[in-house]
This record gives sequence, C-alpha cells and structure tokens, in this order.
Amino acid sequence: MNLSLLLLPAIIMFGVSFLKNKKAKYVLAFTSFVILGPIVELFLLPKPYNVLGSYLVADKLDTYVLLVSSIVGIGVTLALLTLDKHVKVSPKAYRKFYRFFAIFWVGLIFSILSNHMGIYWIGLELATLSTVYMIKTNYTPAAHKEAWNYMIVGAIAVSLILFGIILMYASAKPILGENAMQFDLLLKHAKEIPSPFLFEMGFAIATIGMFVKMGFFPMNLWLANIERASFYPVAALFSGILESAVVIGFFRFSQIAMKVNYNHLFIFVFVYTILTIFIVSFLIYRAKDFMRLFSLSGVEHMALIVIFWVSGAPFAALLHFGAHAFLKPALFLSTGVLESNGKYKIAGALRGYKGVKGTIFWFLVSLFLLAIISLPPSPMFFSEIYGFGAMISTAKSSHHMLAMIGAILFLLALLSIIFYRFVAIYQSMKYEGEEEEKTVYTSELVALVIFAISLMALLLPSSLAYLKSIG
Amino acid sequence: MVDFLIGLFLASLIVALFTTRLYRLLLWYSMNSLMLGSLALIIGKSIDDKAMIITGAITIVVKAIAIPYILKNLSQKFHFVRQITPEIKVQYAIMLVPAILVFTFYLSEPITHMIDTNANYVAISISSLFLSLLLMMEHKNVAPKIVGFLSMENALFLLGITATNGMPMLVELGIFFDLLMAIVVINLLFHKEELKI
Repeated sequence: MNLSLLLLPAIIMFGVSFLKNKKAKYVLAFTSFVILGPIVELFLLPKPYNVLGSYLVADKLDTYVLLVSSIVGIGVTLALLTLDKHVKVSPKAYRKFYRFFAIFWVGLIFSILSNHMGIYWIGLELATLSTVYMIKTNYTPAAHKEAWNYMIVGAIAVSLILFGIILMYASAKPILGENAMQFDLLLKHAKEIPSPFLFEMGFAIATIGMFVKMGFFPMNLWLANIERASFYPVAALFSGILESAVVIGFFRFSQIAMKVNYNHLFIFVFVYTILTIFIVSFLIYRAKDFMRLFSLSGVEHMALIVIFWVSGAPFAALLHFGAHAFLKPALFLSTGVLESNGKYKIAGALRGYKGVKGTIFWFLVSLFLLAIISLPPSPMFFSEIYGFGAMISTAKSSHHMLAMIGAILFLLALLSIIFYRFVAIYQSMKYEGEEEEKTVYTSELVALVIFAISLMALLLPSSLAYLKSIG
Repeated sequence: MVDFLIGLFLASLIVALFTTRLYRLLLWYSMNSLMLGSLALIIGKSIDDKAMIITGAITIVVKAIAIPYILKNLSQKFHFVRQITPEIKVQYAIMLVPAILVFTFYLSEPITHMIDTNANYVAISISSLFLSLLLMMEHKNVAPKIVGFLSMENALFLLGITATNGMPMLVELGIFFDLLMAIVVINLLFHKEELKI
C-alpha cells in the first residue's frame, strides 16, 4: 500500500474536472467511491503503518478519521449530482468545484495521516485555500464577500497554528533536533521537554488557531455566515471533513500537552468550551434558518468532542465525532431540498413529500434531526453519557470538585436550551405551515441512506470495540 | 549585521503601516521580504545550515521579487483602488505601534529566557506578527489585507529562523508551496469579481 493509491482518486477527479462533457460528473461521483479501496486496505494492515517514511503514518485514530471523511466525501459527491436542480450553478463553476475538491482531498489526506507537525499544517493550509474557491462557486455578492472573509480569517487561524507549532518545535528541539516535529517522538519524550512553559504557550496559541477554525469563542458566527452564503455541499464538507482534519490536529497536540501538564490543559479547554457553548446555545435559540442552525449546532458538538477528549474519554469523543461527521453533512445536504421553497421557511419544511422517495426523505431527516440532539438510540446519546461520566470522574479527582460539578450542570442546562429549540423546530417543520410539493432526487436520497447506514454501523459491537482500542 | 537587518525588517513593516499608496505598500513588503531573505542567508551561513541558505535565496526570489510583481500586475489588471488610507488615524497609529512593541517585549519575556540564541529576535518576530495583524485590520480594501497576510507569513518565517535556528527544509518548502497556492486563489477571487462587474 503506498501513498499514490490513496491520492489516485483525487488525481483522477482533478483530471476529469477539465472535461466539458456533461456525463463527466457521473465519473466524478464514481471516483469518490474508489477512495474506499485503499482505506479498507489500510484498516487491514498492522498499525502503526508507515505510508511515507516517518512523515505519514497510519495508526488506528487516523485510519478511523480517514474512513469517516471518505464516507462523507462520497455522500457529498452524490448530492452534487443534483445541485443544479436546487440552485443556479453554471457548468464551469461545477467543474471548478470538483477541481478544488480534489485539491482539498489531497490536503486532507496529508493532514490526517501526518505524523509531522509541519506536514499537518501544510495539508491543512492547502485544504483551507481550496475551500475558499469552493465558496466562490456560488456567484452571488454574499458568497464573494464570505469567500474573502474565509480567506482572511482562515489565514489568520492557520497562521496562529503555525506560530504555535514553531514554539512547540523550539521547545523540544534541544532534545530531539529536527525530529522535534514528529508527533510520536514528541509524545514519547513529552516529559523530557526542557522548557514546558514554551511548549504550553505554543500549544495554547495553536489551539486558539484551531478553535477559531472550528468557530469557537469569540468567532462563533463567521462559519455560520460562510455556510449560509455558499452552496449547501460546501457546508457539508466543512462540517464533515475539514473540521475532522482540524480536530485530529487537536487530538494529536493535546495528547502531548496532557503529558506535559494535564491540569493546565484541562482548565484551559474546559473554560474555553463552556464559554463557546454558552454563546452558541443562545445563538441557536435565535437561529431562523436551517444553515445557521446546523452550523451553530456543529460548533456546539465540536466543543463537546474537545471537552470529552481532554476529560479522559477518548472513546466518547471519537464516537461523538463519528456520529457528528455523518449527521451534520446529512442535514446540510437535506437543506437543498428543505429550502427549495424559500430559504427561511422552517414551518412546514417536512411536509409535502409524496411517493416512496419523499416518504423516505422526510423520515430520514426526522431521524437525523432527533439524533443530533442525542435522543436514543443515536450514537450521540451514548457518547454524551460516557463523556459526561468522564467529566464527573475528572471533577471528583480535582481540588475544585464543587466548582467543576457546578460548571458541568451549567453546561447541561445550556445543552437543554439547544434541545428545546431543536424539538420546537422539528414540531414546526412537521406540524405547522402550509403543505407545498417538493421533489427529492435519487442521488441525494442515496447519500442520506449511506449516512444512515454509517451511523448504525457506528453502534455495532465491532465498531465500538475498535473505538475503545484507540483510547 | 544581523541586528541591522532585523532592525530594517521591523522598520519596513512599521513604514508599511503608515503607507497610503498601494504600490508603495508593495515596495515596503518587498523590502521586508528582502531583509528576511538576507537574514536567513547570513544566519544560515554563520551556523553553516545549507537548508536555511536555500530558503533564504527562495525567499528573496519568491517574496521579494515574484509576489510583489504578481500583485502589481493583478492590481493593474483588475483596477485596484491605489489610494489606501488606513482607517486608524496616523496620530493614533503612531502611539499604537510603540505600545505593541513594548507589550510584545513584555509578553515574550518568559519565552526569551528559554531560548538560548537570538532571544530578542523572538520578541521582534512576535511584534511583527501583531503589526501585520494591525495592517490587516486598519484597511478596508482587500489588497492591503493581502499584504498584511503575507507580512504575517514573513513574521512567522522570522520566528522560525530565530527561535529554532530554522525549521526542516521540507516544512519551509511546503510553506512556500502554500503561499503560491494562496496567490493563485487570490487571483481567482479577483477574477470572478471582475466578471461580475
């Protein structure tokens, strides 16, 4: 198994995107399925497996993230087949979208598989830059403005990450030399880092960069605005794939930071995530359209994944991560149909679906909407139980038990606001408003079915055992 | 010599903050990159690091010559507004810049104790980062914001040279590649803007 096999689908996609034949988009959708081959092979190989020397190493964590991302990629390319049926898009923009999607995919493979802080950053930057143009495929002034916004804020965020990486590298270089960029060596020698303060400073700055990219405090609305202005598959890519690449970086850096000083890391992340969820819960309460609602909910779930991870519950974090990566793109792709009769029409959005395809569509969307607020048997229900359990265990062993339990209760109260809002929206979608006929196409329905099957597969005993073995 | 160049690096960035003409801003960015490339060449030669010498040479070619030239061409092609008045008035900016410098020296004091070589340079690179952010914030036009983003890359590069005696060659080349990709994307973004008009 070598790197070229993993990159081949993206290279084919890039090449095919230059063809002006109208049938080319079907080849592009098929190409995304090809990526599953090398990833399944990666699963079967012994771990850690060196894909490219010590630079790209596949371990259990990144193979899982890569699989989840590739399934999201397949779903998005399937939904793209009918994009022109829901929105106005020129054939040229379509082709360019695929071209940049291929570059995005290359960046992500490097970022996810990297065992090297520098390569991680290069991949992330490449993915970020390619997304800028994907936003721009929507030829509206709002999308144009948001593409520039993304370019500038994204550049600041990745620059902060690079800034942090340089400081972390500087802190470990006296003992590891040029190998101080490698995640595995840093993890092994974390306790020997001569200047832990410098490392922690670098970690904090890199983490702020990653949190900005994920829409955490104080940049809560920038992602929502961008996703609102761009075509819905872009939002699905953001929530399902790009954020995966960011969060895997956080997992890698925080594994080292946990060994350097766990208490500092926990307090920093705990305060940051509570602050984020505090702001986001009220923004969700006021959200008036699907895109912003789902986007802000994505920020909330990312914050939960991060806090579960640092609370010592990697199983809960990874289960939550997988469930969110399938649910959120599914919901974003559904907005193409849900908003087909007016952008801000929540009331009655789930009514008017006729025939078998229509019935399956509204049933699946209802399930996704209820699953995202963690109603059982959603994988999120189980991940939150494990995650909050771990947080309480951490609180019990800390010196500030009462304050921390109080903070956890406050967090639960904020989550209940989000729960209440989603239930109200679901009821409005199903039982209020006028009934207008809407069309659902086969390819987007297939994408939703793939996401639903993947979600169920997450709850299989073998999948849960795999996730537990990562922690 | 290193002190002199690093002083000029900071000075060119400060002057860029007060510039009101686009071409002059590109010139100051070019000077800033030239100082950075020269610094990499001199430090690389003094510590006998071939990788740093190569990246220094690439910096001069790409950042000091190619990127300003491309940006100037883009500005002519898409008829950028060349009068770029900063939103922050000069009398306030003139107080803000030394405040940032003093603040960053104070902020980076604990770090500088931990770095054996060129400790003060780390403080300068951090202050350059803040000044680049200020450059992005003080303008409403897109072009100076792009120059601010590119100056931020320069500040990070300086941090890499001074705090770590140079990052691995692979990373440096990757950063250059991403920078060129950024220029391509910026070109495409402008291109579409022109089509709409």
